[in-house]
Amino acid sequence: MTLVLVIPATAVAVLLTLLGLASTVAGRRIGLLHLVGAGVLEALLVVQAVVAGVAMAGGDAPADTPTFLGYLFGVLLIPVAGVLWARSEHTRWAGTVLAVASAAVGVMVWRLLQLWETAGA
Amino acid sequence: MPDRSALGPAAEASGGASTGPARVLVLLYGIFALAAGARAAVQLSTRFAEAPVAYLLSALAAVVYVVATVALVRGGRGGRRTALVAITVELVGVLVVGTLSLVDPAAFPDETVWSGYGRGYGFVPLVLPVLGLLLLRRRGTAD
Repeated sequence: MTLVLVIPATAVAVLLTLLGLASTVAGRRIGLLHLVGAGVLEALLVVQAVVAGVAMAGGDAPADTPTFLGYLFGVLLIPVAGVLWARSEHTRWAGTVLAVASAAVGVMVWRLLQLWETAGA
Repeated sequence: MPDRSALGPAAEASGGASTGPARVLVLLYGIFALAAGARAAVQLSTRFAEAPVAYLLSALAAVVYVVATVALVRGGRGGRRTALVAITVELVGVLVVGTLSLVDPAAFPDETVWSGYGRGYGFVPLVLPVLGLLLLRRRGTAD
């Protein structure tokens, strides 16, 4: 929810999307690179949740706090679900599964930033 | 032969009905089940009185996505039939709510997933049921 976090998260999400599509095009399942990418993405999202939690404990709050919290914690589930779902897929579409998950994360972090900047009380 | 390429081991051919492109669709349904469910929960619990009809439609959308996701994962004859009903309701829902939200914006003061044919979600809610129905048709003829 600060650009300092949103930009790297978006960069990793875009990279992971391209990587996922690359394995589909190459006719491969997902490999170590994908897992590392998803791990980095998830770590950034956890940092984001902690930073937001600390800021909110300090009295900062977005206008639509429930929606913000929904996105903040919902987005944590997406890379995990994407990796689990992609790993059990043995065809070339595993990469596309991961690509869809990371693209969704890429969109959600910007929505979070938007929600955060609509400051409340 | 073991393959340790960083891009991953070689893929197998798409065999069953629950693998391949269907997996991608199931993930999309899962994400929308989460998105619509969270949105409906927030709307219903914090400001139900503002627009009860719109928020109940939000909740309906969430239920439809959850049912469709589960039915697509389960597969089989029963799963397919349930998915067909859910996805048909979804298609009708996105078309009706999308049209109503444009004709009578006052009734939809807050966005739902289906408002403006899902424009808040990159129109994915409009494309999703079409892909879902195509998938079910392909599966139906496959076995």
